[in-house]
Amino acid sequence: MAVNLNSKVTYLFKKREFGIFLFIIILLVVFGTLEPRFFRSDNLSAILSSVGILMVVGAGQTLVIVTRNIDLSVGSSLGMAAMVMGMVARENPDFPIFGLIVIAMLVGGLCGLLNGLLVSYGKIPSIIATLGTLAIIRGAVFLVSDNVQIDPNDVPKGVIALATTSPIGIPWLLIFAFLSIILVWYVSSKTLLGKRIYAVGSNPEGALSRGLSFNKITILVFVFVGVLAGLGGVLYTARYATINPADVGRGLEFDVISAVVIGGTNIFGGSGTALGTALGCVLIGILSNGLTVVGVSPFWKACATGFLILAAVAIDNLVRKRQEQNFLLAIRNQRTVK
Amino acid sequence: MASLRNPSSRFKVPGYLVGPLVILIIAMIYGSLGSEYFLDPASIVFNTGRYIEIGLLALALTFVIINGDIDLSVASTLAASAGVLAKLFENGVPIFWCCVASIFTGLVLGLINGLIVIKFGLPSLVVTLATLALYRGLTQVMLGDGVVANYPESFVGFDQRLVIGGNPGLPAPLALFFVASIIFYYILHRSNYGIKNIMSGSNPSTSNFSGISVDRVRLLAFALSGAVAGLCAVMITSRLGSTISNVGLGLELLAITAVVLGGTDIFGGRGTISGTVVALFAIMAVREALVIQDINGQVQDAAIGLLLILTVLVPQLRSYYVEKRNRKKRFNEAQART
Repeated sequence: MAVNLNSKVTYLFKKREFGIFLFIIILLVVFGTLEPRFFRSDNLSAILSSVGILMVVGAGQTLVIVTRNIDLSVGSSLGMAAMVMGMVARENPDFPIFGLIVIAMLVGGLCGLLNGLLVSYGKIPSIIATLGTLAIIRGAVFLVSDNVQIDPNDVPKGVIALATTSPIGIPWLLIFAFLSIILVWYVSSKTLLGKRIYAVGSNPEGALSRGLSFNKITILVFVFVGVLAGLGGVLYTARYATINPADVGRGLEFDVISAVVIGGTNIFGGSGTALGTALGCVLIGILSNGLTVVGVSPFWKACATGFLILAAVAIDNLVRKRQEQNFLLAIRNQRTVK
Repeated sequence: MASLRNPSSRFKVPGYLVGPLVILIIAMIYGSLGSEYFLDPASIVFNTGRYIEIGLLALALTFVIINGDIDLSVASTLAASAGVLAKLFENGVPIFWCCVASIFTGLVLGLINGLIVIKFGLPSLVVTLATLALYRGLTQVMLGDGVVANYPESFVGFDQRLVIGGNPGLPAPLALFFVASIIFYYILHRSNYGIKNIMSGSNPSTSNFSGISVDRVRLLAFALSGAVAGLCAVMITSRLGSTISNVGLGLELLAITAVVLGGTDIFGGRGTISGTVVALFAIMAVREALVIQDINGQVQDAAIGLLLILTVLVPQLRSYYVEKRNRKKRFNEAQART
């Protein structure tokens, strides 16, 4: 029994997510001791609502990065979805909330479909294609909205309530975040589709020779991240209640990709977990809020994020190298035994 | 032999230049519809001043991208160099040594990028994404909210000076850009280093076995990109006459667009200086034409993004249809034979 427990503990320590979890605990302790107000409930809920938006989009981005692609346009897609939703709500104040959410997800899904078609059938490298659509969709937000922002009075009360009210004690915003993380976890670890997505990322030639349809899977993951970005647009509107064509979702892609990379997803595809991404989002949320609360100049935030990404990638790389060495050693030992 | 039979084909425009040239011509026509002064030589020459930094960054980035790497941090390197320049100037260092220090800072920051990428074997996309935040953060920490201005008269207004007088004269930045293009042309297409650069981009392992130190080639490209960013920091400070912490925000996207528009393969191994130069002028013409037609800045960015996608997409589609036609032809011939 003792041995069993011991092996379980070492297994836990070997998990990639455990390191991030430890780091989050350390950060919490440091910020909490430096400034007790950090643990006040309103501050914690502020952290959680910004983390929630990141998580929803990050969950989709994880799958995109697993397939060796990247989506830089999520911030613009989020903005487009929020803007279209806000305009529909402004024209028809009695529109049902559920309908608004569906509209936002549809708009986001269309943006994702555009990216997916460009990357799959257009054969444009995803970094170029989404760099282009990042600018194109942002320009479209301006054309659609005529550069007029949606004021808090025009946003339905029901949408704003998503960030605060709740059916079971936690706000809708967090429920959506958890649901999207759980969905990605379920798809990636329990379904055949998930296996295929990972196969495309880890060994494209092998996957191709097995007859997997690259184009379908690529389009699927891009549409998926688009739909989640649309949902993120709803949550963004719920949280900030204003939709400004220039500001909505701007620069979100940086935070999302940072969170995914810190969460242990390999930027070259093939590995990455939903849990890691969720923890990465929490880490970024706590760091950016904590630095402000403790009284460090907000200018250090960008520095800290940069360092975190570098550290995460470097540690990942070391771990991977050691694993490869162990694997080779194990094979050699087996051969000598025979 | 074909060129002997048909002498006109010797003066064919290379394929990678067709896209940017078409864009350039269309933008020229569109701009001249907006204002009769658009094609005025003096106005064209003076409007180039704002784009020269992007052009220099793109020239240096061409080397990095040919290696199969990418440097997203150029704009942040520029900002950090400008920050060092401003801080030294505030502390009474003569302006000449400030400029030297700025270029040196850029060089060091570029070397840091390269060393992290090469020594740790990490993907340059992630590393430079991290240093994009890191260097920008350092600039913000250095400068805070403040503005550094009051540069000496002799330093400010570099872009207003003429190398060759008259109408239209040759302003100093444009002259510098031409000189830099010629130097970079010789480095890439006529020197040992350039050949090694293209070879190590197109097939790194073969180049390594042929005695090319691929790591050193890549490191040099990163250092070059950093040093050029330092030089651009001097130019931008002289042009604006002041320094704030968000100097050059977003320039990296325009520079990368110029490189890719010019036909350099984003996966490395292929690229030319002439392509980058023509693409820069195309971007410049599009931007100015849209400005003169009084179109919103975000929509201008969207137009550039659309061009980026189209220039990659159109040749892909063309080669796809050509191949399809050839396959059909071969099939028909085989049918006819049997």
